[in-house]
Amino acid sequence: MRNRLAYATVLLAAIMIFMAFSPARAGQSELTTKPQTTTKAPVAPALKRDVSGVWQYRGSGSAEPIAPEKDMPPMTHWGQARFDAERPGYGSRAVPDGNDPILQCDPAGFPRVMFLPTPFEFVQAPGRVLQFFEREHEWRPIWTDGRTLPKDADPTWYGYAVGHWEGDYTLVIESTGFNDKTWLGSAGYPHSDEMRVTERYQRVDHDTILYNITVDDPKAYTKPIVAPQRIMKLKPKGEIEELVCVWSEENAFTKRIREPAAAHPGK
Amino acid sequence: MKLKVAKSFTFVMSLLAVCGSLSAHHGNSAYDEKHPITIMGTVTEFVWSNPHCQIYLDGKDDKGNVAKWAVESQSPGILHRNGWNKDSIMPGDQISITLAPARNGAPVGFSGGNDGKIVFADGHVLKMNLR
Repeated sequence: MRNRLAYATVLLAAIMIFMAFSPARAGQSELTTKPQTTTKAPVAPALKRDVSGVWQYRGSGSAEPIAPEKDMPPMTHWGQARFDAERPGYGSRAVPDGNDPILQCDPAGFPRVMFLPTPFEFVQAPGRVLQFFEREHEWRPIWTDGRTLPKDADPTWYGYAVGHWEGDYTLVIESTGFNDKTWLGSAGYPHSDEMRVTERYQRVDHDTILYNITVDDPKAYTKPIVAPQRIMKLKPKGEIEELVCVWSEENAFTKRIREPAAAHPGK
Repeated sequence: MKLKVAKSFTFVMSLLAVCGSLSAHHGNSAYDEKHPITIMGTVTEFVWSNPHCQIYLDGKDDKGNVAKWAVESQSPGILHRNGWNKDSIMPGDQISITLAPARNGAPVGFSGGNDGKIVFADGHVLKMNLR
């Protein structure tokens, strides 16, 4: 009896130690690159079918394009005409009277909101995952009740999204139903209302999600836009703050900062 | 034909310029982030609001040029996470501020990148650490 108890205790301890240190095996096999961790202590494993919490994209710390210039596919005639007509408020094509929609507090929309240096929060509820963006204090539901994407969704700023789990550690989200009024980034890359977006949020350990996004928009681009993989980190004490775009504040900022900085020198 | 070639060339050069700027902080090559400068002066206004907090000061650069400077930083949320609050800077404060100046020579700058910092007369420092 005593031997059996001792044996069971040792076995239980071994199992607990093994579980504490093993990686998310299902996710590990899908990895093409190992995420870098700078902590010395081993990180806890990923939770199964759970991406709740506040997540921060670890990028440059500033607004980014969806993909570097070299990775952007050629535009169609429609796409090119739109790009040429845009007057960015940022970057080398910036002009004082820029028409970037966000300068007048139009929503950044989806997917542009994903490439801004502010966090988001996932909240999981029955039949849906809610994604709250600090940017603009906006949110979108991701339907996980098994429904398929609508064939003719109304065009909206943030789209219509459905999600499903691939294994236990990857949330795959597909979305459609976008209007064509948002840019893919501050340089003015357009998209049409036929855009379809696929995202993969792969939780590889307790604190890390590997994020991949593909934009399929044959009306604007001759091939899909495949963005480079991005790393998101959990912020256990993170809180989404209020960041509402207020027209009067935006306008004052444009007059006092953007326009003087973008004006051509008078020399 | 020549015009088409010129247009294409200009377009390609602009794309290359955009490419160069995309990796810069703020995605905004209106600021020269490779050559930050430090301005010393007296704060006249600290605007704690979206989209970007702003610091206005009567300042002097290291060549002694005096100007009314307008400096943009990050959103209140981001600054909160870097330990700032709405009272971190007050009108009348004597500060030196490191910023990326506007390329067009206007007294406008961006202090919201990792190099941006503000040093007060008593020696305490407000920094940015976007990660």
